[in-house]
Amino acid sequence: MSLEDASLDIVPGELLAVVGENGAGKSSLMNVLYGLYHPDAGTFLMEGKPVRFKSPRDAIARGIGMVHQHFMLVPTLTVAENVVLGREPTKRGLLDLDRACDEVAATAKRFGFQLDPRARVDTLTVGSQQKVEIVKALHRGAQVLILDEPTAVLTPQESDELSQVMRGLVAQGRTVVLISHKLKEVLGVADRVAVMRRGRTVAEVRASETTVSALASLMVGEGSKGAAMTGVPAAASGTQEAATGPVLLEAKDLRATGENGRPALQGVSLTVRAGEIVGIAGVDGNGQRELAEVLTGLRKLDGGEGTLLGGPLAGLTPALAKARGVGHVPEDRLARAVVKAMTVEENVALGRHRQPPFARGPWVDFKGRRERTNQLLNSYDVRPPDPTVALQALSGGNQQKVVVARELDADPKLLVVVQPTRGLDIGAVAQVHARLREARGRGAGVVMVSLDLEEVLALSDRVYVLYEGRVTGHFTREHLDERELGRRMLGAEASHG
Amino acid sequence: MGERTRQVLPSVLSVLLALGVCWLTIAFTRDADTATRAYLQMLWGGVGNWPAFLDGGSSTTVLRPLGESAMKAALLTLTGLSVAVAFKVGLFNIGAQGQMIWGALAAALVGAHVSLPGVLHVPLALLAAALAGAAWASIAGVLKLKRGVHEVISTIMLNWVAVSLVDNWLVIGPLRAVAEGASSITGTAEILPSAQLPRLLGESSRLNLGFPLALAAALGVWVWLSRTRSGYETRAVGLTPEAARAAGIPTLWRAGGAMALAGALAGLAGAVLVLGTEGRYPGSLGAPYGFDGIAIALIGNNHPLGAALSAAVFGILRAGGTRMQLLGVHKSFPELIQGFALLFVAGRMVWLALLARRQKRAQAQGPAQAGAEVPRA
Repeated sequence: MSLEDASLDIVPGELLAVVGENGAGKSSLMNVLYGLYHPDAGTFLMEGKPVRFKSPRDAIARGIGMVHQHFMLVPTLTVAENVVLGREPTKRGLLDLDRACDEVAATAKRFGFQLDPRARVDTLTVGSQQKVEIVKALHRGAQVLILDEPTAVLTPQESDELSQVMRGLVAQGRTVVLISHKLKEVLGVADRVAVMRRGRTVAEVRASETTVSALASLMVGEGSKGAAMTGVPAAASGTQEAATGPVLLEAKDLRATGENGRPALQGVSLTVRAGEIVGIAGVDGNGQRELAEVLTGLRKLDGGEGTLLGGPLAGLTPALAKARGVGHVPEDRLARAVVKAMTVEENVALGRHRQPPFARGPWVDFKGRRERTNQLLNSYDVRPPDPTVALQALSGGNQQKVVVARELDADPKLLVVVQPTRGLDIGAVAQVHARLREARGRGAGVVMVSLDLEEVLALSDRVYVLYEGRVTGHFTREHLDERELGRRMLGAEASHG
Repeated sequence: MGERTRQVLPSVLSVLLALGVCWLTIAFTRDADTATRAYLQMLWGGVGNWPAFLDGGSSTTVLRPLGESAMKAALLTLTGLSVAVAFKVGLFNIGAQGQMIWGALAAALVGAHVSLPGVLHVPLALLAAALAGAAWASIAGVLKLKRGVHEVISTIMLNWVAVSLVDNWLVIGPLRAVAEGASSITGTAEILPSAQLPRLLGESSRLNLGFPLALAAALGVWVWLSRTRSGYETRAVGLTPEAARAAGIPTLWRAGGAMALAGALAGLAGAVLVLGTEGRYPGSLGAPYGFDGIAIALIGNNHPLGAALSAAVFGILRAGGTRMQLLGVHKSFPELIQGFALLFVAGRMVWLALLARRQKRAQAQGPAQAGAEVPRA
């Protein structure tokens, strides 16, 4: 969260990518540019003149726009209403929606976006919502557009489209600053890449003159270590014989209702054996989350049947799932995996707090808990390795390490992980992936839901593709194909086998 | 700034600021001298006139005020704990007053109509009060957890139901003491001597077993929350319910249990009032200790020991407040101080921001100034 002597030159009309591990200061630097943070020292020149932004309002006024990782949209409002929010056109003091729609449509058209200004935002796909965010910034006259991890939630097709959008903006003279972990993607689209490490900008290179592994080395600061963390799926390291272990999960025709009351699972069947990683691929919101919830006892089944670790899937509760040996790394860490206001050791105990070494009879076993926590913090390289700090004081990557450490320490028979590396830096990603493989090696079955296709491809022995609550594809490792997977994620029929 | 400082300091500063504001109010409407002397009277009334006592005054000059303060502090501690415990699972218990009413009635009935030796009679009456309070609170708890009825609404309404049923019907109707001769008596029959909470400082002070009982309750709640599995689960449920559920914690039972415990504590307050000082359920319960519990809990930062501490402070101020009248200052000033303190403590985040800025500046000025973190208020 801190910056030390970071410098950045942004040249008009180019696409600059800022890369770095989590906590390297990318977001902090962008927040300084956007007026959210105030620098303790240093200068900020715009067109040669020093400027000082008190708030994002100043930044917006000077033509800087930002698209946050988590969209800042009101889901129940229309595209046009969202775009003009804060500077609505009025007619005789009343909101002039027609004019708003016309204006927004004009802006969208000028930059080549296809958006219906009257569509409600919550009916749009994630990719379209992102376009709304971009149009919003452009509509406010952004000359410099900052995009924070924009492809984290997109399908490959949507990512490609976004790349074209970014190039299009640059072609029209706008400047784009792209913050990303995904080096391959960055090199495909950026003109120049700035590398940050520990609050400093350590390098600025032309994209055409560097490689993924060179960038990774710069990011982590060690040549050898960097090469192992390129984030590029090393297919070879994941291969193994098709799992023949005992069946841990056998589910048929699962049906469940989603948070919005609509059917989320409409007949999903799957099998998971011991000693394999089963990837669940799909565009966000196609039932993956609900599937994981069903498997961990968090969501009731409406129909279908299944056997999970020797017991029926129907009537499963979180406590029952835990007792049978299900581990869970949920998607929304802060809402579901941890109690952020509690200490790290209290969080390590969560879920196992009734057994030794975390409890003795009805009492909390402070000593046992401390010892086990210290062991885990060391073996998972959590920083700071202090069991007594509030969990929320840790960076996202370190919080996730705590969660993964806790779940694997329980030695689960079946591990359900959802987006296990979202927002993590490459070092942490590599570690989490290694731990998942380790769990598989020990004979655990792993169900991994991920929106990051690279991750699915890198780890999975088999992949199920979910689309609108149904399985639209099932691939074994040797038949995995990124393009075909992407087609199935968008609901395409099988073109072969 | 340490975590403990962050927890305690805003409350302390709020109480001091409230004292200051009320002092200024008196000083402006009267004069500074009167304000100071009124505060002194309040202090003597709360903790006893120690200078006079040390000058050879009778022990009553300190024992009686201390007893009054302790009695009020005991009631405020219990209702404050009631609110604080519910807060731990994220529920706002506005209903301590109603729960206390039922607790008081249960204690009065068991105290008057069951015949037992004292060692059993007092615990039985206390138990009855706790159960009655817990049952009343559980109505709101079940409504919340099963039907999603907001507990603020339901507990407020249940307060009125309790007042209507108990004060306006039972104790002036079916349960009214059958008075011999005197016709003016309202309220239930006198409790038996065996049910009275023993006085601790002889007859010169009303200090009774209720005070150590309240302190034990505060200590017990603190130990439960911080050291036991179920207390840990309860806190987890309050802080992040979804994470608690995912961890296999029975969230409904924990939340319901905390609400029942909150009711039991408020019920105990009713018992302490009846068995300790009133001697029966009076025609009306009178002082709104249940509502005061909200302020006590918030000023105590929803910490069990914090609640006990703030109850002690306001017990002293409340008991001493009557003495302000000697100077023509209205006795409601302690309540005013409590109100202001609550108002200021609601700005906890403002306090913390101010303190953090002050600390930052101190650090910028070098280590010599680092001590500025400690307020010289």
